[in-house]
Amino acid sequence: MASLHRSGISKWLASFPPFAWAVRELRELLIGALRQGPVPQHVAFVMDGNRRFARERHIETVEGHNMGSEALARILEVCYKSGVKVVTIYAFSIENFKRSKHEVDALMAMAKLKLGQVSQHGALLDRYGASIRIIGQRDHLKPDVLAAIDKAVAMTAHNNKAILNVCFPYTSREEITTAVKSTVEQFSTPIDTLSTPSKRTFSESHITQHLRKQMLGEDQDATAGHEMSRSASPLSSKEAKSGESNHSSSTSTAMDPLEKGDTHASGPTFLDPETITAETLNSHMLTADAPPLDLLIRTSGVERLSDFMLWQCHQDTSIVFLECLWPEFDLWHFLPVMIEWQWQRKKLLEEQKNRGSSKND
Amino acid sequence: MATTGLTLKEQTAFLRDSLNGKPLTPEEREALLKSHLPPTPSSSSPTPSRTNSKRAKTRKVRLHKPKTGRIRNFVHFVIYQTIALIFSVFFRFRRAWRLFWYKVCGVMGHHHRSPEWIVNDVKNLEQLPRHLSVVLDYNEDDEDQGTAGLEGLLNDVCEIAAWSASAGIPLVSIYERTGALKNYPKQTYEAISRTLETYFGPHRCPSLTIKSPHMPSYSRPTTPTSETTEDGTMTSRPHLTVLFLSELDGRNTLIDLTVTLSHMAQKGDVRVDQINANLIDAELNDHVSTEPDLLILFSPTVVLKGYPPWQLRLTEIFHLPDNKGVNYQVFLQALKKFGKAEFRVGK
Repeated sequence: MASLHRSGISKWLASFPPFAWAVRELRELLIGALRQGPVPQHVAFVMDGNRRFARERHIETVEGHNMGSEALARILEVCYKSGVKVVTIYAFSIENFKRSKHEVDALMAMAKLKLGQVSQHGALLDRYGASIRIIGQRDHLKPDVLAAIDKAVAMTAHNNKAILNVCFPYTSREEITTAVKSTVEQFSTPIDTLSTPSKRTFSESHITQHLRKQMLGEDQDATAGHEMSRSASPLSSKEAKSGESNHSSSTSTAMDPLEKGDTHASGPTFLDPETITAETLNSHMLTADAPPLDLLIRTSGVERLSDFMLWQCHQDTSIVFLECLWPEFDLWHFLPVMIEWQWQRKKLLEEQKNRGSSKND
Repeated sequence: MATTGLTLKEQTAFLRDSLNGKPLTPEEREALLKSHLPPTPSSSSPTPSRTNSKRAKTRKVRLHKPKTGRIRNFVHFVIYQTIALIFSVFFRFRRAWRLFWYKVCGVMGHHHRSPEWIVNDVKNLEQLPRHLSVVLDYNEDDEDQGTAGLEGLLNDVCEIAAWSASAGIPLVSIYERTGALKNYPKQTYEAISRTLETYFGPHRCPSLTIKSPHMPSYSRPTTPTSETTEDGTMTSRPHLTVLFLSELDGRNTLIDLTVTLSHMAQKGDVRVDQINANLIDAELNDHVSTEPDLLILFSPTVVLKGYPPWQLRLTEIFHLPDNKGVNYQVFLQALKKFGKAEFRVGK
C-alpha cells in the first residue's frame, strides 16, 4: 500500500469512499475482461525490490518486506480471480540466509505471522479454492516456523482449484539435485525390498507392490523372445505411482531382462536406468504436478533468474523483467504484461495454424 | 496513485492488523474482507462442518443471479476485445518505432569492421564478461534479412566471434536449438578465422578454438601463441574459444547424468548421499559449459528455447525488446548494461 507513505490530496482522494468504490469496481471489471482471453496456467514471481523500496522511502527494511507481502496479497487476488491455476513465488532463497540476522529473523517472524493468519481464515481461502504448498529445503528452518507451515498447508490441503507454491528456502540447483538424487534412489532401490522408508507422498513399497503385481502378470504370458527385448514390460514409473496399468506409454521403465528370470530366487532387481526421461525427472521436481510454467515475472529491473525455476522456465516460458519495485507492483503493472502475453500467445497460435495449413497444402 | 480501491480505514486495518487502535480478532478481519472476496464456489464445500455457519452468513450478502451474470459476461467480453484491439495497435506501433530507432542507432554506431572502434566502444566499462553466451535461431526462411539456413547462421556466428574477440572476451558459447553447426567444425573454423582476419588483418589475428560438448575441440595446431613484432618485442596473441551448444546439452545432459549415476548406484559405485550440487556442477562444467556471465538474446522477447538450465543460475540476461536478428547494437548495449551491473548473491 504505497499510498500509506504518501501524503496530501491524492492520498485523501484515494481513500475517499465513493472513489475507492469506483476503483474497486474498475479493477473487478478489468479482471473479468482478462478472463475472456487465454490465461497463463502457471505464473511465477520473483519478489525483488522490497529493500530498495524501503531505502528509497526511508523506512525500515522490515517494513519494506511487510509492504511487499501486501503487494503479494493484491497480486494473488488478481491472479486467482483471472483464472491462473498455479502461482509460484520466490519468497526466500537459501542464499538469503547470508543477510543480517535481524532481517532474517524478521522475515521468519513475518512468514510465521502470515501463515498463522491463513490458518485462522481457512474458510475464506476455500472461496478461492487455493491450497498452499511450501517447496524448498525444510531442514534450513526453525521448528516453530515449520509448525506454522505445516498447519497452514494442512488447513488448505483439500482445495484443488488453485495452488500457491511458496518457495521458502529454495534454490533451483538444490531442487534439481534433489530430483536427481531421488531418481537415482528410485532406480537403485531393489524393487523387491519392501522395507525402504519413503520421503515422498507416494510410498515406495506401494509402488513396488504394483510393479510386482504387473510383473507377475507379464511373467505368466511372456514368451521367450519377449523377455529378451528391452521394453518387455512397459511399466511407467509415473503410471505405477497412480496405480494404473496403461501399456502404451513412452516413458516406460522396463525390467532388467537378464535379472528378470531369477527375480524370486536371488539377486536384487532394479528398474532400467536407460528409461529415465525428462518426464521422470520432472515428476521428481518440487513442482511436479503443476502445469508448465507460462510466465515468469521479475520486478526491480534485475535481469537474472537468481537460481529460481531454472528447470521449469528454460523451454517456452515468457520471462518478463519489470522496472517497478515489488511493493509497487499491482494490477496496473500486471495488466499490460498479461495483455502482451495474450497477444503473443494469439500470434503464436496463428503462426502454428498457418504452418499446419501450409504443410497440408 | 489511487490503485487499490481501499478506504483509509481498511488500509490501516490490513497493514497494521488493528482497527481504531485495537488489534483485530479473526471475526472482525473476515467481516472487513467480505466485500473483496469472490462469490462462494458453486460446488459443495468439502469440509461443510467447519464452514457451515460462515457460509450461511455470506450467502445472504452475495447471491448472484444468473441473468446479471450473463450481462456481466457480455460486458467483460466487449471490454476484453476493446483492450485487445487498442493494445495490438499500440504494440505494432511500438515495434515499428523501436525497430526504426535501432536502425538509426545501428547506422550511427557502426563498428566499420575495425577492432579499434569496438575497443573504443567498450573501454569505459567497469567489467567485461569472461564467458559470453548468445542464443541464435536457425531460420528456415529469411524474411528478406539474408539470415536463412546454415549460411545465415554461420554469418551471425562469425560476426559475434569477431566482436567478442575485439572486445576482449575470451570465451563465447553459442546456443542454437538444433545444433546444426556442430556437424561442421572444420567449415565453421575456416569461416570464423576468415572473418577474424578481415577484422584484425593477418598479423594480429587472434588464435581460435572451436568446441562443442562430446566432440573433440578443433583448432589449428600450427597457430603460434605469440610472435615477434617489428620492434622485436614479443606480443602474445589473444585467444578466442567458441563453444557450440544445442538442445541436447540442456535437459538431456542432466538426464544422461542421472542415468549414469543410477547405473553406478545399482553397481554400488556411488551412494545416494554422495550426490550433491557440487558434483553435478563439476560434471556439467567439465562436459558441457561453465556458467556464462552474460546471455544475449537477439529475439524480441525473453524465451530461452531449451538453453541448458543448470548453467543459467546467476547469468545476466539481456535482450532488446522487439529486436529481431543479430546486430552490433544489441551486443554493445548488453556489454554496457553488464558493465554497470552489480552482483549480489542473496544480498
